Amino acid sequence: MTDEPRVTMPITAEGTTFPGPLPCGLRCIPRGVDELATEHLVLNMGPQHPSTHGVLHILVELDGEEVIAAEASLGYLHRGIEKLAESRRYHQVPTLLDRADYISGLHSETAWALTVEKLAGIEVPRKASWLRALLMELNRYASHLVWLGTFGMDAGAMAPFLYIMRDREMLLDIIEAITGSRMMFNYVRPGGVAADLPTGVDAKIRAWLDVADTYLDENDALLGGNEIFRLRMKGTGVIDRATALAFGMTGGCLRASGVDYDLRRDVPYCAYPELDFEVPLGVRGDNMDRYDVRVGEMRQCIRLIRQLIDGMPEGEPSGKRSRVLKVPAGESYAAVESPRGELGIHLVSDGGFTPYRMRLRSPAYFNLAVVDEALAGGLIADAIVTLGSLDIVLGEIDR
Amino acid sequence: MWGSGILKGMAITMRNMFRGPITVMYPEQKLALPERARWAVAPRYDEEGAPKCTACLICVNECPDHVLNLEVSRTAEGGKHIDRYVYEVGACMMCGLCVEACPFDAIEMSHEYELATRDPHDLVRVLLRDVDAASARRAKGGDDA
Repeated sequence: MTDEPRVTMPITAEGTTFPGPLPCGLRCIPRGVDELATEHLVLNMGPQHPSTHGVLHILVELDGEEVIAAEASLGYLHRGIEKLAESRRYHQVPTLLDRADYISGLHSETAWALTVEKLAGIEVPRKASWLRALLMELNRYASHLVWLGTFGMDAGAMAPFLYIMRDREMLLDIIEAITGSRMMFNYVRPGGVAADLPTGVDAKIRAWLDVADTYLDENDALLGGNEIFRLRMKGTGVIDRATALAFGMTGGCLRASGVDYDLRRDVPYCAYPELDFEVPLGVRGDNMDRYDVRVGEMRQCIRLIRQLIDGMPEGEPSGKRSRVLKVPAGESYAAVESPRGELGIHLVSDGGFTPYRMRLRSPAYFNLAVVDEALAGGLIADAIVTLGSLDIVLGEIDR
Repeated sequence: MWGSGILKGMAITMRNMFRGPITVMYPEQKLALPERARWAVAPRYDEEGAPKCTACLICVNECPDHVLNLEVSRTAEGGKHIDRYVYEVGACMMCGLCVEACPFDAIEMSHEYELATRDPHDLVRVLLRDVDAASARRAKGGDDA
């Protein structure tokens, strides 16, 4: 105990004076309390908290329940993928990239294949381009399903998550039949894809397409059709157009803020120039818009998969692939529209068997950077929902 | 009407209640794996039961995680003899690059997926021990090797 003089003012509550010891056991009131001064609380969200997606640590400064500022602290899932790629031959790198964005590995694999093909000048058969697009769309749908389920869980809806995981299981079965793995595909390689569609998978995809619309409508009705959910989402986590552009956001988060930018349409790659689809857009950039944009994208996914499976060309699934590919010295960059945004890979080659430098432009990293702008001013309960609406994957952010 | 969305949601959960389970009682029932499913690497044998491995070391050089190792010695006749073909299954990521690279079809990605073990020594397997390596001709199953 210090000899510091204590405030001995009696507590007054609605005109009643308590002269004796306080109910909490204190004999006097600590200095400063009489001025009713409150101080900000810094809350550590994560890295072990179940509401953060993966091992993300966010420092949130709170004034009561209101968020004053937020800062993401990254690196808990850093595995040095960019550095490891420098010791892998070109066809071995996709095994690493699967683990970068582990929800949608086929997108990073394809980005890698496109980058290497651009620098090495490899022609890809038309069939391979279509197979890549088909697999990417299946993977995009599966990835958006994970987002939809966890987004509902963030808002407190448990049931849709279970139905959504059931739907995702059907997709993962299809992807496993094609690539041989449920999440770590290692399917798209520089020069083409590892194998053609196996027999019977065509019917499997069509069987899924038959029920996909129904299931999506149901899940959308459970979340987006729920008035309480809509009221919570509207007007929270607003990211305006200028902020979204300033932070380099891409993908659904950018389109929800009203910027019409989709690499599949604007910088076409694979089979996308031959396909017919729309790009859903938002207006306000709040959580509801991000929800509507992603669910709209899922409807477009079904449309694209239908076109891809109907128009699948004949031919070889792969050109000549080499285990000891030598890429000429130089630099190249190619990007794909992953479920989270522009997933680009910058490759520097010195002409050897391994990359000199591989740099991954991961969309979720840029989307997460906006966390302070999006969370500040809202409530702590909305902060978790807003974070969920950004659709982050820590494997890709930390690399 | 305010609240109709919640009622519709309840109708959907009721509908799902009658759809029946999609899961199976795992240890008793097991789902069939697709043909291409990739799990632990296993050696392949020819019709006479001899391993098809020629000890060419392509798989060893191909593995991104260096989980395969072949200890090879020479036989008196000058052929190759496999002392041990070691596979570190605990570190394997089942990418399948070794199987794709094998020109003799001597290894495969098996469908053995129950890889949990109580003994850490089980995480390193010896796929082949003390056998003569196949000649390239025999491995290809023809004369024009």
